[in-house]
Amino acid sequence: MNVPEYISSGIVESYVLGLASPEERREFEAMCRQYPEVLRARAAFELAFEKQAMENSITPAAGLKDKIFAQIKTPAKVVSMPIKLPVKNTNWLKYAAAACLILLAGSIYWNISLSNKNKQLQSNNEKLQADYETTVAKLGDIEKDLKLIQLNPAVKMASMKGLDPSPASFATVFWDTTSKDAYLLINNLPAPASEMQYQLWALMDGQPIDLGVIDNDVFIKQTRLLIKGKNVQNAQAFAITLENKGGNPTPKGKIYVMGKL
Amino acid sequence: MTTKSTYSEQELVALLQQRNDKAFSYLYDNYSGALFGIVNSIVTDREAANDVLQNVFVNIWRKIESYDPSKGRLFTWMLNVARNASIDEVRSKGHRDSQKNQPLPENVDVSINGGAVTNPVTDDVGLRKVLTKLKNEQRVLIELSYFQGFTHEEIAKSLSIPLGTVKTRIRSALIQLRTMIQ
Repeated sequence: MNVPEYISSGIVESYVLGLASPEERREFEAMCRQYPEVLRARAAFELAFEKQAMENSITPAAGLKDKIFAQIKTPAKVVSMPIKLPVKNTNWLKYAAAACLILLAGSIYWNISLSNKNKQLQSNNEKLQADYETTVAKLGDIEKDLKLIQLNPAVKMASMKGLDPSPASFATVFWDTTSKDAYLLINNLPAPASEMQYQLWALMDGQPIDLGVIDNDVFIKQTRLLIKGKNVQNAQAFAITLENKGGNPTPKGKIYVMGKL
Repeated sequence: MTTKSTYSEQELVALLQQRNDKAFSYLYDNYSGALFGIVNSIVTDREAANDVLQNVFVNIWRKIESYDPSKGRLFTWMLNVARNASIDEVRSKGHRDSQKNQPLPENVDVSINGGAVTNPVTDDVGLRKVLTKLKNEQRVLIELSYFQGFTHEEIAKSLSIPLGTVKTRIRSALIQLRTMIQ
């Protein structure tokens, strides 16, 4: 840096009279430490300005000195005006502080609501996970059932049509000719009264063979696609009757659906 | 409470830092007039100026530790305490009196158009006497920066002059001021 140029740039006067920016002040102070001629220029202007100020003295009010002494002898708390930043700066700080508070409040509120939302999402997620597991299990059962009836050429099917008590009813029996197992698919049957139960029968040469009662829960939960009936060695047709709860050894109630194999 | 003794600046500062009454009395006797001249060049109301000067001396008493001799003479530090307190006073007065709330743009318009600076301070006080010898354009900038305490950025924005130009013009005005007071 060209020192004489720096000295005559007006920075000396700017610094002494308090017009330099903080950055300019730092730079000037560094220059003063480094170059004695800068320091001398500063001292020269300081003295000149001080002399000018002295020459332009104005005498303050007569009692002012006593008032000042009285004030500095009282505890600091009573004093009205401490050294403060220029008004605009204080304002700026006030606004900045206010803005910080608002931001802080906003951020706290945001945190709380996010945390609540997070908890809610977590519980939703757990519920969804449980639902999903149930559904997968159900689907597994259904697939197993479907495999049983669709992919097995040994399985024969009897479509049972609705009779008088409920013409719209319809059910299907799949009978595995190899294992002799019978599976019932309820396509449409009215839910029975709680003291009644449907019972599945195989018909062979006009004789009914009991294949078991159908759990009433089936009509509430509809858990399984296929209901496994009792094993039957031979059958020509199948039928479902509505019996008293627990079923009967031979059918006593009305036949709801019936169909040949 | 007038004291006759004299002190070197170093002695004076050391004694003030010990809260020595005699040194403070000496300081008042020797510098109150010069500092009051500076306060009066900014604060027009004489009564208010006396209040400001009172605060200036109380602050000098209380804050003498913050004076750093490596950064300038004691008087330079006191001059800036006085100048800041005066600008604060003028500004807080502006706050109380809402129509004077934004003095910068108003004053500037008038001044730029060749009229006198609106701040009704008499031109025969202290530095202002010197200021009358400057070109009006430079005078306005000194008025705004030194007497009213606006930053270069604020002045540049208000006058729509590039910051660099504001800085250059203020610097050249200050250089002229120096030649006038030496």
